[in-house]
Amino acid sequence: MSSKSCYHCGDEIIGKSHTFDNKEFCCNGCKSVYQLLSDSGLDSFYSLEDKPGVKPAASNDYKYAFLDVENIRKKFIDFEDDKTIHITLFLPQIHCSSCIYLLENIHKIDERIQSCQVNFARRQASLVISRELKISELSGILDAIGYAPNFGSKSEQKKKRNNKYLYKLGVAGFAFGSIMLWSFPEYLGIEEDNPEFRNFTSYLSFAVSVPVILYSANEYLISAYKALRFKSLNLDVPISIGILALYIQSAYNIFAGLGPGYMDSFAGFIFFLLIGKWFQSKTYDSLSFERDYTSYFPVAVTRFRNEEESIVEIDQLEIDDELLIRNMEIIPCDTILLSDEAKIDYSFVTGESVPIEKKKGDFIYAGGKLLGQKSRFKVEKESNRSHLTQLWNEAGSEASKDKNTGDKLSVYFLLAVLIIATLTGALWFFIDTSRVTEIVVSILIVACPCALALSKPFTFGNTMRVLGRKGLYLKNTSVIPRINTVTDIVFDKTGTLTTGSSNHVIYDGDELSQDDIHRILVLANSSTHPLSRSIVSYLKEKSADNSAELINFQETGGEGIEGIVDGLEIKIGSAKFTHPEAHTPSNETASHISINGTYKGRFIFESEFRPGIWELLNELNTSFDIHILSGDKNKDQELILDHTNQLKGILFEQSPKDKLNYISQLQNDGKNVLMIGDGLNDAGALESAHVGIAVSEDIFRFTPSSDAIIEASQLNKLKRFLRTSTASKKVLLICYIFSIIYNIVGLSFAITGNLTPLIAAILMPLSSISIVLISTLFTSSNR
Amino acid sequence: MGIIYLMLIVSLVIALFFLLGFFWAAKTGQYDDDYTPSVRILFDDEKQSNTNTEANGSTEV
Repeated sequence: MSSKSCYHCGDEIIGKSHTFDNKEFCCNGCKSVYQLLSDSGLDSFYSLEDKPGVKPAASNDYKYAFLDVENIRKKFIDFEDDKTIHITLFLPQIHCSSCIYLLENIHKIDERIQSCQVNFARRQASLVISRELKISELSGILDAIGYAPNFGSKSEQKKKRNNKYLYKLGVAGFAFGSIMLWSFPEYLGIEEDNPEFRNFTSYLSFAVSVPVILYSANEYLISAYKALRFKSLNLDVPISIGILALYIQSAYNIFAGLGPGYMDSFAGFIFFLLIGKWFQSKTYDSLSFERDYTSYFPVAVTRFRNEEESIVEIDQLEIDDELLIRNMEIIPCDTILLSDEAKIDYSFVTGESVPIEKKKGDFIYAGGKLLGQKSRFKVEKESNRSHLTQLWNEAGSEASKDKNTGDKLSVYFLLAVLIIATLTGALWFFIDTSRVTEIVVSILIVACPCALALSKPFTFGNTMRVLGRKGLYLKNTSVIPRINTVTDIVFDKTGTLTTGSSNHVIYDGDELSQDDIHRILVLANSSTHPLSRSIVSYLKEKSADNSAELINFQETGGEGIEGIVDGLEIKIGSAKFTHPEAHTPSNETASHISINGTYKGRFIFESEFRPGIWELLNELNTSFDIHILSGDKNKDQELILDHTNQLKGILFEQSPKDKLNYISQLQNDGKNVLMIGDGLNDAGALESAHVGIAVSEDIFRFTPSSDAIIEASQLNKLKRFLRTSTASKKVLLICYIFSIIYNIVGLSFAITGNLTPLIAAILMPLSSISIVLISTLFTSSNR
Repeated sequence: MGIIYLMLIVSLVIALFFLLGFFWAAKTGQYDDDYTPSVRILFDDEKQSNTNTEANGSTEV
């Protein structure tokens, strides 16, 4: 066995390679991309990274036609004038520095493209093209070199990182630095000799602190005000009390000519708090967790009305409209099939990749992908009312999930502070009445839970990053505390426990000679269809040599492939394709083989459970209740029961609605449910569960809206991920202990009347920085 | 001693200048993408012309 790999995409080459320029390629697609790039002088693409290419997927000519309809086109372009068009496209295939090189030099492939700038973090390219180039052509060019643009929902692409915290942080940092500089004489104790100079720096400090309290800190004050108005408490209340006490005391000191007060601590305080907020607000830009049904459906479809063909957006479709859907297009509404028959792939919906055959008059749910010949459909329900989209509307809102658990803490905290302040105030009343106000204020200042407020964003933010590096991407940090309270885990079966494609192959039929196996292998290798890939990986082990010549290769979408290998005509595909005369419909997924018109046998495909999945289920079973819900018939029940013990529930033939109800039922029993699923049929369940994790082979593509996305290959490490998440609870506890120790130390200074601005200026950054260090070190070591 | 007041003002103005620079950078999206520019700078300069010169303009790395 040779193990040559494709010069373009790096896939293993099986069968005769396609050679060009002394380079070997796995398929024609890769070869033509190479030809195009080398003709355009873009050879560096291959030298920047090893085998960086993306295998171009089969597509049809009509795929982007909708982009030339004027009102649709307008939605996607950013700006246009007489000569140029500016457009930003989402290209999920961008994955390495070679991609950036290629896309930014794309003007060499087509000179009508004037410039291109890639934003790697968001997987976006901003292009300037000349008006002669249609958007559909541009998309076609990008598609041909392997970067198919995704026109999903527009709102998804337009989101921009919020720079608000950055500005606030800048202001606070500026003030912090400046005030520290001016307070330097104060720190050294040399300020007393020169009251005039001291007043001058004090007023300067006051001037720069005004934007800090009004702009940088406004969020805390507003949030505290809102909480108090609704007669509740949050951590922002004690923070705001601290901030205000600090600020008012300092302002009083300045105007009374007593020196700059605690202005340096105040600005530093806000600066550190904002760093925490900013750190927490950083999320995965390129991933989308908020997808709704509109991102799955095409932007527009072809409609027939009064014998006239036109392209319309899907929200303009009406009942009884007639649609023309082409190969590989998605059906956007619930419809009835008008053509004689059609093959529908529901893998986005159910996770099952095997296409389903439908006959004329059959009712077809939205979300299926048509394979094979173009067909006509009649709209039964508008897109936003279809069976599938109803699920989204039923799942309920997210808001109920985010019950704030931190509130109790702030209540205790505030109570403790108030009690201490009152007692100390009373005590000082007898010692030295003139100092009561000063002491009480300094208690309020030092008790401000700054370090406490930093613990959470840094601990959870770091945990999120650690998990992301390993293949579990959280929507935001508020998911972590929710994960930590999970009691029950519900798995979807198809596409989640099993691999999406049908990998397990069984051959049934006449014995195949070594030569025949070899010929089938060569033919199957020319196709990128998932079933062909499965045949290839199955036969690879059985065939020794692989260098036969393939000619007249032809692929019929949804039917099969044919070609002449070593002089024999080989056909692989559906029963109807290989032997039309003896065609009996069956439910199994199979590819049939005929050689020179003689029927040989068939490959039967079965879905395969992911490697390591049984170990995972058994490991999880020790600490959680495990449930499995499947939309399929119960053919795998015994297999599952053989490999696992004492599952809490295992149900088959569950409709999307059933799954949703099952989750709600568990939640009504007081359980916190973690739902793991992949297809659109799990969308409702994912949404309503305490935590919903979507499994995806390709994290930049179709995932239902969820709290987290996990790479399919990493699913078997779920137990470890959950442990990492739970460990963050311990880290948080350590941080809390530390910050409370700091508070106690500070309070002891305040109660005894020794809290000078200098001590505050040392204590405050020390506590903040050490909390950041502790949470970073512990979360990074906890893996 | 009087010079110190001037110096304080000057330092404040310089700091303000940097603050404005920071705002400008954030506003023009320079903090949006911290990966692409680091790669872009390593690409070899090639002839930037739209008149498709032959491939000999490209350099092997």
